[in-house]
Amino acid sequence: MQSIRSLDDFQTLQKRLKVDTAKNLPVIVIPASTCAQASGANEIIRVAKREILQRNLSEKVGLRITGCHGFCQMEPNVLIEPRGTFYPKVGMKQMARIVEAVGKGEVLEEYLYRDAKTGRRIELARDIPFFARQVRFLLGQNEKVDPIRIYNYIANGGYAALARLLGEGRPADVIEEVKKSGLRGRGGAGFPTGLKWEALARQDGRRGKVLVCNADEGDPGAYMDRAVLEGNPHAIIEGMLLGAFATGAEEGVVYVRAEYPLAIKHLIIALDQARKLGLLGKNILGSSLSFDIDLVKGAGAFVCGEETALMRSIEGKMGEPRQRPPFPVERGIEGKPTAINNVETWANVPLIINLGAEEFARVGTKNSKGTKIFSLVGKISNTGLVEVPMGMTIKEIVHEIGGGPENSVPIKAVQTGGPSGGCIPATHFDLRIDYDSLAEAGSIMGSGGMIVMDEHTCMVDVAKYFMNFLQDESCGKCYVCRKGTQRMSEILDDITSGRGTMEQLQTLEELAQVVKDASMCGLGQTASNPVLSTLRYFREEYEAHIRDRRCPAGVCRDLITFTINENCNGCGACKLACPEKAISGKKKEPHFIDMKKCIKCGMCRSVCKFDAVDVR
Amino acid sequence: MLVAKPMSVDVSKIVRSHEGKRGKLISLLQDIQSRYNYLPREALEVVAEQTGIPLVDIYGVATFYRSFSLTPRGSHLVSVCLGTACHVRGGREVAEELERQLQIKPGQTTTDNEFTLETVNCLGACALGPIVVLDGRYFSKVSPARVKQIIKSARAGKEEHTADGHVFPVKVSCPRCNHSLMDFSHQIDGHSSVRMTMAFGGKHGWLRLSSLYGSFNLESEYDIPLDTVVNLFCPHCHAELISANVCPLCGAPMVPMLVIGGGMVQICARRGCKEHRLDLNGVNV
Repeated sequence: MQSIRSLDDFQTLQKRLKVDTAKNLPVIVIPASTCAQASGANEIIRVAKREILQRNLSEKVGLRITGCHGFCQMEPNVLIEPRGTFYPKVGMKQMARIVEAVGKGEVLEEYLYRDAKTGRRIELARDIPFFARQVRFLLGQNEKVDPIRIYNYIANGGYAALARLLGEGRPADVIEEVKKSGLRGRGGAGFPTGLKWEALARQDGRRGKVLVCNADEGDPGAYMDRAVLEGNPHAIIEGMLLGAFATGAEEGVVYVRAEYPLAIKHLIIALDQARKLGLLGKNILGSSLSFDIDLVKGAGAFVCGEETALMRSIEGKMGEPRQRPPFPVERGIEGKPTAINNVETWANVPLIINLGAEEFARVGTKNSKGTKIFSLVGKISNTGLVEVPMGMTIKEIVHEIGGGPENSVPIKAVQTGGPSGGCIPATHFDLRIDYDSLAEAGSIMGSGGMIVMDEHTCMVDVAKYFMNFLQDESCGKCYVCRKGTQRMSEILDDITSGRGTMEQLQTLEELAQVVKDASMCGLGQTASNPVLSTLRYFREEYEAHIRDRRCPAGVCRDLITFTINENCNGCGACKLACPEKAISGKKKEPHFIDMKKCIKCGMCRSVCKFDAVDVR
Repeated sequence: MLVAKPMSVDVSKIVRSHEGKRGKLISLLQDIQSRYNYLPREALEVVAEQTGIPLVDIYGVATFYRSFSLTPRGSHLVSVCLGTACHVRGGREVAEELERQLQIKPGQTTTDNEFTLETVNCLGACALGPIVVLDGRYFSKVSPARVKQIIKSARAGKEEHTADGHVFPVKVSCPRCNHSLMDFSHQIDGHSSVRMTMAFGGKHGWLRLSSLYGSFNLESEYDIPLDTVVNLFCPHCHAELISANVCPLCGAPMVPMLVIGGGMVQICARRGCKEHRLDLNGVNV
């Protein structure tokens, strides 16, 4: 790979790469993100390579290994370009036949996606309801780009925004453009990105300025950032380069959580290639811009997603937050002015420069522009990543894109914003999602987790889950957060074990308010949201636990019993599986659970193939 | 004066490799942990002595972050995800079944030092929950009933390779002289092997690799110690097989070979590193 020293050379390279890609071959696209690999993508990729070699198709059929396309439920899936044929859940045998069919230009009807509602086969990805209603600005690029090949990114228009600005742009214009686009921080708080950059640009640059990509995606249940990091790392690098041009920063840091090994690997490769090509380093493309990016790996601490804690962690210290002001743009890493943006925010920047602010701002609501990626997971039939325009209703996301409930159990709520967010009940599903509407509803946008809960999910248990998480992750620096989360967790533990009182419910509410008002950082200030929002919408569930000693969803162990119903045919699977030997019964006769021995582990229900274990 | 023991030599090397780097303490502790599987006290003392960072601060960092362990861990690491999506789909029950099967609590290691059980707050594969990761391998939609089998698969240990659907033989040649590297007289994994010459630490000899794509089995004239980077040469034109790329996992050079039929396979030159890549011709569009 030869370094490019001028804008002309870059354009020559760009043209050459575009000619190369315009061969018009059919291309087999296989996502190999962490989730796809967990579903067996590596195996089918090998089969595809074997078949291409053995059938001598390597000059006739293309193969592209990419990041996540979003429809994780259907992984490993295969996309055939240019038609857009979509094959879900492809196994090794099917893969071999698909390669053969692509070689002949055929479509294998029997392997196509089957719509759950109509039962019809759908050939093209864009006609599948899951994809049809999305606006895939960012996720769409994941299909086009092999993340470990920088030429692939350039051939798809990558680094063109940078080259154009280096040629004729002015830093102030870039900031103006980002401001005009209305882009707000995708990490959760929604601070206008253009304003942050303007503040950084104004700072005295003598000690140097730093840009940070916050890729410490600690919010459990959210993985949009992982998908972008793994699938399109150069978009983040280009976004940061544009930010550097706009603000005068010369140092960059990407802080990735260590739990994402594949994202780290792809970033290392991408940074290395960008450096070799002369897109990072001194005098980029012969201009006066100098910028380089360090990769820093996290070590597993949720609080490090908070920006002041993140900075300390980057400095190699314990990730404890500190008071603001001074804000990071005034005094950040090693005392240098620092702007911190989330992965998805950075990935949106090249898009804004390429599309133009006005075009970008056409999508979205009055105060929230562009698209947002949500991780639609939990008790829903189509799980995966969905990218939708701001302002779409929850109903559309859950029922039309998500395909509704996972099984026949009705959906009760969605949880957004992770441990800092709240639960929104199904009665409010007409809510148009943007930063402001979610805050009004008692939740937050957050980084984009959207966990669907059904009637078998206990809302008190969910609150307890988050509070447990938060007391574990509270750094302990400030008292209210440390003790407050602990006490709330204890009260919730009492309620879910049937020891709760109505007075405790009041204490819980008071505590929640105090922790919210008196904590120093964002973790504590939002820690009460899971409790407050469930109390607001699901108070009757709390009361059922306290007054009736009953868990309506059948989740809280101390309040439920396991019984075997008339579906039992005496197969004996549960009897074998029960760790406490609490199940008895003769072969081919209904079995029985001894309540005294039962520890409510759920093994019997897990192994039963006949739906014969009831929980009440 | 401190007598130089192997650990202090090793740790000093790690400390030096982080000299002048940003936030070096965390990353050097990460390197020490990946070397020893945990953070031995002795290693932390060496770090304190060489960096001037007080031991108490090192201890603070080592205990603040969840991924560091101050006690030795087992040969297999089992992580069970307790993220929200996994939680609502029964991740807790899976974790409890793992505790029962291994008879340890999260954070503990079995008495035979085989397994360490960990809970993780989110592994980012939320659509496929509940997730269990065993030694880097992801298991999706795990039910309590499947736990036994997952542990059994780890106990079974050594991988054996036969050519099947996804492990298949490739024929390779030298990228410089295009002479075939295949050795039909010597089989590994039941298939013709790939022959080269190698050099490391003053030793020169032959090396034969399995030609199965996906198998890491090899035979060599001299035993190659783990973590050694070897230089490999074509036995015909004697050119060194080295590509412009470095291994993204360990930084060693990659070794390129042409695939007969159109393509290029690259493997990492470091013993023990499994990084490899097969690119087919005309495919990267």
